[in-house]
Amino acid sequence: MIVTTLKPLDEIMNFISPYKNIMIVGCDGCTQPPRGIKEAGTLSQLLELAGKQKNKEFNFKIITIAKQCDSYLVASILEPQTEGVEAILSLACGIGVQEIARIFPGIPVFPAQNTHFMGAEEREAGILEERCAGCGDCLLALTGGVCPVARCTKGLLNGACGGSKNGKCELSPERDCGWILIYEQLEKQGKLQNLKEFRPPRDYQLTGWRVMS
Amino acid sequence: MNKMASQKERAQIEEVIDEASGKVYLPPCQIACPVGEDIQRTNAMIALLPLDIQEASSQIIRIGDEIYDKNPLFPICSYICGLCEKKCNYKDKTGAVRRTMLKRFLNDCYLPYLETRPSLPPPTKEKVALIGGGPGSLMGAYMLGKKGYQVTILERGSQLGGALRYIPKYRLPKNIMDTTIDALIRIAHVEVKLGVAMGPDGKTLDDLKNEGHQAVFIATGTPSSRPLTIERKPVAGADLEGVMFGLDLLSDGNQGKLPPQLFQGKRVIVVGGGNVAFDVARTARRLGGDTSLVCLESEDKSSKDGIPADIEEIKGASEEGIRITYSRGVEEIIGENGKFKKIKCPQCISVFDEGGLFNPKFNYSDVIYLEGDVLLVTIGQGPERAFYQQEGLLDEKGRLDIDQLTLMSNRKEGIFIGGDARRVGFAAEAMRDGIRAAESIDRYIKGEDLKAGREKEYEGAAIPERKDFKPQPELVWAPVEERLNFEPFEKGFTLEEAVEEAKRCLYCGPCRSCKACVALEFQPDIPKVKLDEDSCIRCGNCVFYCPYNAAKLESPGAASFNLNNCHGCGLCIAMCPAIALDLEYWEKEHISTLISQLASEMEQPGILVFRCQWATFSILNDKPSPNIRYIELPCASRVDEFHMLEAFQKGVDGVLVVACPEEDCHRGTGSRWAQHTVAKLQKRVAEIGLQDRLHFCTVSSKDPKEFENELAKFYQSVEAPGSKESK
Repeated sequence: MIVTTLKPLDEIMNFISPYKNIMIVGCDGCTQPPRGIKEAGTLSQLLELAGKQKNKEFNFKIITIAKQCDSYLVASILEPQTEGVEAILSLACGIGVQEIARIFPGIPVFPAQNTHFMGAEEREAGILEERCAGCGDCLLALTGGVCPVARCTKGLLNGACGGSKNGKCELSPERDCGWILIYEQLEKQGKLQNLKEFRPPRDYQLTGWRVMS
Repeated sequence: MNKMASQKERAQIEEVIDEASGKVYLPPCQIACPVGEDIQRTNAMIALLPLDIQEASSQIIRIGDEIYDKNPLFPICSYICGLCEKKCNYKDKTGAVRRTMLKRFLNDCYLPYLETRPSLPPPTKEKVALIGGGPGSLMGAYMLGKKGYQVTILERGSQLGGALRYIPKYRLPKNIMDTTIDALIRIAHVEVKLGVAMGPDGKTLDDLKNEGHQAVFIATGTPSSRPLTIERKPVAGADLEGVMFGLDLLSDGNQGKLPPQLFQGKRVIVVGGGNVAFDVARTARRLGGDTSLVCLESEDKSSKDGIPADIEEIKGASEEGIRITYSRGVEEIIGENGKFKKIKCPQCISVFDEGGLFNPKFNYSDVIYLEGDVLLVTIGQGPERAFYQQEGLLDEKGRLDIDQLTLMSNRKEGIFIGGDARRVGFAAEAMRDGIRAAESIDRYIKGEDLKAGREKEYEGAAIPERKDFKPQPELVWAPVEERLNFEPFEKGFTLEEAVEEAKRCLYCGPCRSCKACVALEFQPDIPKVKLDEDSCIRCGNCVFYCPYNAAKLESPGAASFNLNNCHGCGLCIAMCPAIALDLEYWEKEHISTLISQLASEMEQPGILVFRCQWATFSILNDKPSPNIRYIELPCASRVDEFHMLEAFQKGVDGVLVVACPEEDCHRGTGSRWAQHTVAKLQKRVAEIGLQDRLHFCTVSSKDPKEFENELAKFYQSVEAPGSKESK
């Protein structure tokens, strides 16, 4: 899932204060925490209260769509709703914001949140943690299902390094050493010999601006 | 909900069938209770009693009436039973909920009322006779009386109660037993005939038929004491002076026939390892005897040959100075000049054989002698067979020939047999037979199928999710030097202790088999979770948060709910990011309407309090403030950021969410999640300066001032000048 955090309310207020009729669009896709119809509603309530303090009145239209990154869904669902809408506030990751901007070039679109990383939630602990760096050359088959690029602080492909202490990383001692996790996982699977396989340096041509058909 | 159904009808308990297994789904305690008391429902009601005894008394009577309806002998059970506690889900955590003590607590208020409780409508239906005056017949008589039959109990002795009359008074006070039995007889219009024997020297079943009885329930118990045997032969010396049956001692003792220091200066030996043997030993001790007890069984209760008596009996007896000799049989009773002198006791190496049958084995080379002046044999009882034989109710092997489900004799129609005479068991099991026979007799007289729909299988509810388990309260006994008499020595619960203990109950069972909340008019019926499948985004929040394992998410498809498990708290609804869920009777829109209405009638500064309907603190009803309004939620965890913000939007100045302390929470986790939801929103409203206007607090029912103080504190922070400007 795509991990996001809400922007400060003041920042959002600055975006939208020139407008009155605003559509808040939730996304039921992969944002985590979920930013669907309920969050769209809560945000509108908070903005309305904030507006009242500044004698500013808004008209909010609340809607959610399954995935804001799907241009067909964005077009077909939002199109009939846009009449009279002066600005759109998107609760998607950066991709969704850009899709709406592309499909409705005449309406200003604002992000309601900052997009951070691709990660997973540990529900019991309530923690969201990065799990995939989108490196373009997946190594998980060799590393027992634990990604060294995302989870080793240094992104080493041949670890662990000398900075691993008691299973934690020397750079941030509260953080698990990714390579110890890989070792433990491979040990459980009886595949420690994988560690002897040398992995060549990453091909950074696979990252950066990418397009494929 | 059927809108036409009355509140009383809606509060009626329903039988919940587990869809997967087809079994009746109940909390394990209720499956264990032979008479089927509604334990969860009445525990929930006790937990909600106000802490002022005057205020609580009318509710205690109401709870007593609830239990009475299923078990008119419950004041007696509250001293002698505890079968439910043996199956309590709490047992393996920190100890069973002390249901027996909870019921005993009700007695103080309930028994005086019971003496004036209105009788059932006078009987209009056929005549039915019940033979024997014990718990089986008494229960049968009440249930038949409730169905409108004219019932007569025939008892050979001079008083009703049967085997209950053997229970020493220090364990079951006489006034409790007398009041309970007398009330039952009056309430169910039971005709009682004492001193009427059946069998060779008395009446026959034909006599009863000729008197107009359409059916007969026979529950004559097991009045014959079993004599000592070894290797299936009688033990020699049983006729010596000083050798007697323990049961006779108990019976005489309870009838006041024994001098208080009967055994003063005497050494008393009791033979037997059951609870009755301990009753005898502790009675002998109270009559001044230097008492010891010898039994076949071993000290290790968990082994196959472990002593059957309850651990409390063994502990109590030991404290009182009774010595226990384990794993010894009696081979011979030895006398001197016709008087009992000693017993010869070989070591018992095994009590039950591999098939679980009583078949003791001895090592005769390891023998001890125990000397004494009195020997009390208490190794079990059996039925008197003569009457059954005369009436042709036995099979070829001499056993009662009856249908075990309906209790009707296979040899004579319209004759039903139960209680200890059928199978020796606990008093409550004899009562169950009375209930079962009453149902059979009703069907028999109406000419209906005796068996249809009666064979049921049960499935016990699992233990709900909890972070902590509260310790079981210790039983408080009077010190030994103060309890060697026939007064009860176990300290009962105070009102506060009873409420505390009832709150330990986990309410494991399904809501529809409880409905305490409906009976108390918290809600019109058990609310159902409503799911809009089209809105569900399959995030799994409901599955993660549900403490009762009611929500399920299977791939593919929307979430689904097992409403048997759902307790209607609404936590899943507060946590659903898709607004795909709602709760019957507490709909989101309904709460919104309430907020608008209350906000408009409040004077400024207005405070809206969201309060859990289970919270027991008083809400200052006596002086309603124009500035404060309340909204009750099915559980504090239903509190929703949407509604809290909506209150601010409608002009409310402060929102206070009040729940019980976590350890008092009806659902265990509700208070914690409510706090979580409020804390999350607090961070967000801080961005618009409303942090002082939203507050969560817990209030215990123990301190009547606590809520008032919390409210005053909050009121001040809402009134603060800085706070006012930010509005």
